[in-house]
Amino acid sequence: MSTSVSQSLSGLQARAVSRPRLTRSQRREIWFFIFSAPFLFGLIALTLFPMGYGFYTSLTNWDGLSDLNTQFIGLQNYAQALKDPNVFPAVKQTLLFMALNVPAWIIFSFALALLLNRDLKGSGLLRTLFYLPTILPAVAVVMIWKIILDRNSGLLNGLLSLLRPGTAIPWLGQYALQGLVVTMVWGGLGWGMVVFLAGLQGIPAELIESAKIDGANSWHVFRNITLPLMSPVLFFQLVMALIGSFQQLVYPLLMATPLGLGGETSVIGFTIPNGIRFFMVYTYERIRQSTYGYALALLWLLFVAIVALAALLFWSEKFWVYKGDIEEQNA
Amino acid sequence: MNTNKWTSFTNKLNRWLIYAGLILVLIFILIPVGWLLVSSLKKPSELLAYPIAFFPQVPQWNNYILVFTRQPFIQVALRTAVLAITAGTIQVFTSAMCGYAFARYRGRGNKIVFPFVVALLILPPIVTLIPQFIVYTRLHLTNTYFPWYLAALGANAYFVFMFRQFFYGFPRELEEAAEIDGCGPLRIFLQIFLPNAQPVLATAFIFALTGIWGDYLTPILYLSENKTLLAVKITTSYLDPKGMALPTVSLAANVVFMVPLVILFFLGQKYIMKGVVTSGLKG
Repeated sequence: MSTSVSQSLSGLQARAVSRPRLTRSQRREIWFFIFSAPFLFGLIALTLFPMGYGFYTSLTNWDGLSDLNTQFIGLQNYAQALKDPNVFPAVKQTLLFMALNVPAWIIFSFALALLLNRDLKGSGLLRTLFYLPTILPAVAVVMIWKIILDRNSGLLNGLLSLLRPGTAIPWLGQYALQGLVVTMVWGGLGWGMVVFLAGLQGIPAELIESAKIDGANSWHVFRNITLPLMSPVLFFQLVMALIGSFQQLVYPLLMATPLGLGGETSVIGFTIPNGIRFFMVYTYERIRQSTYGYALALLWLLFVAIVALAALLFWSEKFWVYKGDIEEQNA
Repeated sequence: MNTNKWTSFTNKLNRWLIYAGLILVLIFILIPVGWLLVSSLKKPSELLAYPIAFFPQVPQWNNYILVFTRQPFIQVALRTAVLAITAGTIQVFTSAMCGYAFARYRGRGNKIVFPFVVALLILPPIVTLIPQFIVYTRLHLTNTYFPWYLAALGANAYFVFMFRQFFYGFPRELEEAAEIDGCGPLRIFLQIFLPNAQPVLATAFIFALTGIWGDYLTPILYLSENKTLLAVKITTSYLDPKGMALPTVSLAANVVFMVPLVILFFLGQKYIMKGVVTSGLKG
């Protein structure tokens, strides 16, 4: 009832400025689509269409060369993926990486944010310095860690050798997964810290003050105030980190090349250590071998896994993420 | 009295423990960067020495000259910078437009489209990057810079979200007053919203620049050697005239590669922190 009144009112206004046929809300709807046109273009032309086309390609044996030999082969690529002996180890390593990297990153960056969330001299400078690795490109981050983790000439084994001469742990070979996790935690700490700090600063100080006056100690405050109020941020970080773990490609690719040698050869000339040959790495290898149909089938399996994981996470949200009024104030 | 002394003692102890923890983290953060700087001044033989040589006997400043002479570094850097600045500017502008649409035009279309913004926030870019590569291969757009500019025209979900959150808090009266004065939607966006979005504009621009400058995967997928961008260039070997690898020059090249980003970060630092805090994550 009231909407129709306001519509006819805005219709009157519209007539007053001599655009007789559209109501104000219709015109606003058109402007919405004009302003959001770039996103719609990106969504349709650069996301949905390529993914759909990718799915179609995954049903063929296209090798990137000629269309003459390309045949529609149905779900054969998917059936092949299930039998491919490379797939299971790649999935396993991806999950292992996830299990190591996500908790390490979340715990360390949350702890760092908790340490910094108080009046400390120099905390502004410290924050800036801690954030620094986040702005470094993957190429540089990997280079930095390659000369630390290198088996013979790396800093880490060099320092360990001071304690135990002759230490030569293959951090880029047999222990490449562990080496990669350290690298990625180093590179991601600053980002995690900033997001957690932003969340912590949204917790009203009075709440903590009054809890302390009531005799709560630091642990109680943390357990009963900080943690529940931070659960939406923790949830956000967990979703991004878990899903991000699926896409690890660039770091393993770059880490696999020996010091001082080219990156482009990484796929062709050097084998990637099994520890960091993740599902996406294997998919990329197949792209580079131009078995596009098969590679896109692998990619679509990854996509389905991501959607399933996201659905699971958002379903679990209601069990552990706090949705009180403080969050509403912020929203 | 006694308990007061005790609590002030534990407070002090707490404070020292916190500083100790922070200094440990600082060491963990800074030593790798320092090690890169030190190593970039070594001779190749010192870099690969076993047992380890912690410091160069004579700092090889020449490595930093070789960065520019043994590869067309400046040429590739300029090409990368031009692409990053042009595509970055376009992307920030298109994203601001979309953020404005989602913040201010809250009709039915908005309700339908906005979930896709959130979905694209969560979707890892790799899932779309490779299918895009297939499409561009089909359209013979590989080995051109079209993929970057098309991506820029298509906005960036993360920036869209940032702008949306920022514009959402703008007072409605501002817009209404302008409307009564006869301002069209385009002018309201360009003259009222955009000029007042400096923190987000700066943050998005820095992120866009950093992203394109540092991106390794897109250039290696799309571009051949003679058109490639800096991130790929510096991972290809530096060789001396005899064809021997110069790994320490590669390290120096990485340092030079990082410097613009570090400068950019320090210039825009206060905006980045604010941009993240005010708009990055609520929602």
